[in-house]
Amino acid sequence: MRLIGLVCTIGGWALAVAGLFFTSAVGGRIAIACLGIAVSLYGSLGVLNGYYLERAIWKK
Amino acid sequence: MTRKRFAGLFLLIALGAIGVFGNAAPVRADLNANEVISGITTPSTDEITAKGDPGAEKYGTANDVTMTDAKKGVTLGDLANQAGQNKVAINFVWTLITGFLVMFMQAGFALVETGLIRAKNANHTMMMNFMVYGLGLFAYWVCGFAIQMGGSAPIANLGGVYPLNSEHVVNLFGKPWALFGTKGFFLSGTTYDVAVMVLFLFQMVFMDTATTIVTGACAERWKYSAFAVSTIFLGALVYPLFGNWAWGCGWLSQLGVNFGLGHGYCDFAGSGVVHAVGGLTGLAVAMQLGPRIGKYNRDGRPNVIPGHDIVFVLTGCFILAFGWFGFNPGSTLGASGNGALRIGSIAVNTMLAGCTGSFAALLYMWIRYGKPDASMAGNGLLAGLVAITAPSGFVNTLAACIIGWVAGILVCLAVEFFDRVARVDDPVGAISVHGVNGLWGVLSVGLFADGRSNYGGSWNGVSGSVTGLFYGDAGQLVAQLIGIVTLVGIIFSLSFIFNWIVDVVVGQRVGAKVELAGLDIPEMGALCYPDFQLKASDYGAAQASSIPASANR
Repeated sequence: MRLIGLVCTIGGWALAVAGLFFTSAVGGRIAIACLGIAVSLYGSLGVLNGYYLERAIWKK
Repeated sequence: MTRKRFAGLFLLIALGAIGVFGNAAPVRADLNANEVISGITTPSTDEITAKGDPGAEKYGTANDVTMTDAKKGVTLGDLANQAGQNKVAINFVWTLITGFLVMFMQAGFALVETGLIRAKNANHTMMMNFMVYGLGLFAYWVCGFAIQMGGSAPIANLGGVYPLNSEHVVNLFGKPWALFGTKGFFLSGTTYDVAVMVLFLFQMVFMDTATTIVTGACAERWKYSAFAVSTIFLGALVYPLFGNWAWGCGWLSQLGVNFGLGHGYCDFAGSGVVHAVGGLTGLAVAMQLGPRIGKYNRDGRPNVIPGHDIVFVLTGCFILAFGWFGFNPGSTLGASGNGALRIGSIAVNTMLAGCTGSFAALLYMWIRYGKPDASMAGNGLLAGLVAITAPSGFVNTLAACIIGWVAGILVCLAVEFFDRVARVDDPVGAISVHGVNGLWGVLSVGLFADGRSNYGGSWNGVSGSVTGLFYGDAGQLVAQLIGIVTLVGIIFSLSFIFNWIVDVVVGQRVGAKVELAGLDIPEMGALCYPDFQLKASDYGAAQASSIPASANR
């Protein structure tokens, strides 16, 4: 699960940088960069944090 | 008069007129650097010896110009060299003194964090902030500085810093990607250089700020040994990597040159490089550590665990605000040349954003919860200061106020988010102040940079002034967004991976019994307040009986 979270987090960065090659339009680059940020945030706060929340000390 | 004589006289008069009016300035000979400047009157040393100089009229003359040949006298070349030396000397002094101010911010961070945690952990928290200076400095001296700035030359304000001329670059998809520097390890070899030393000191204290941020997010349950290892890694590798990409002529700064994205990623004094790196690393470690015992009930509702000294918190905030006058204005790396006279503008932007940040946070808390909360007012000040750090050199005062105001509200919302939604326990709000508002600062460059600054006619290798979306350059916004996703995607991940390894090998978190007793005695061997009877935590006592044995490592 943690590996999936890391892949998702790093994948968001890769998507944003790849967007620089996909299009030269500024609007397109902004959109892809924002999407990349969202994917990275989901990977970190959603997947990775979710893993630790399931095992939180206050749940035991 | 005959016609011939008249013509001759006319020609003479005409030539004379041309000589007077057409040649108003005398013809200049080529300037000769070895030409001695004569006719300069200077007071004699006997005169000063006999009468002194109470009115400062006799000191600072041509006698003080360094002469190549004292017997010959002052030459034009001597004058030019002295002017250059003076410029570099002014910039050295400026950079060093502002670096000393930033170093003093360590005391501010120590007070803020210690004030926001419980008294039973005060020694431990203070010691983390104290030793982060030495641990980070060592790691940075060994390899961090080389990785970050090894290929950053030339830096005009500091005389060039030419020994830092080696950067590792890979070519991918037809573009050069500068990844890290390869010169300056142990400050040895050619980097044993006066300009390199100035740059090292200034950059080191910035790195130290990033490492100290993590201690706040992880306070009250972080093992001292794990803290030490984690700090060394942050100072040696993670921070310098992003620092190189942003400030060391790395790939992020070259997005303008390579992809036409404004002036590349711009971060004047480090909202991203320092604060977001620190805040996101704090998030990575706090996530792995888990919340403090008693922070959350079984249904997930958070409990407030108040700090033990608001006086510490607000005094620390004042020290930080003072030190920030070194952080932002000092990032010009000079007070002479290449637009460095903007230091006043940068300082005013810094003040305004800090004040509007604290005001916005105070108002938010007052309206929402009915009281002007002191700790959030302090965090609001810090949030504003963090947010203005990146744009401080590129924006006007109105934008500074807006940036600070948004930061003040953002920090309150972020604290609530991490407390209630993400359930990441952050005792001092470091993730919200530095992580979230660091990213806001990076973004605000892409929005508010007004294109009026001029630092030598270019920035990051692109001519012209840094300009954001609201002033006509959307490409700059893209560059900032790429910086943000790099912070969240790469830097957070690197910090997470390494601290995961530390957790497996060393163990990050103290045992439950240690945590409930307070870290001062078990971890540090001494109480911070041995003369005081500390109150047992009600939250801790209630939770103690429900902690499984496996938690007591």
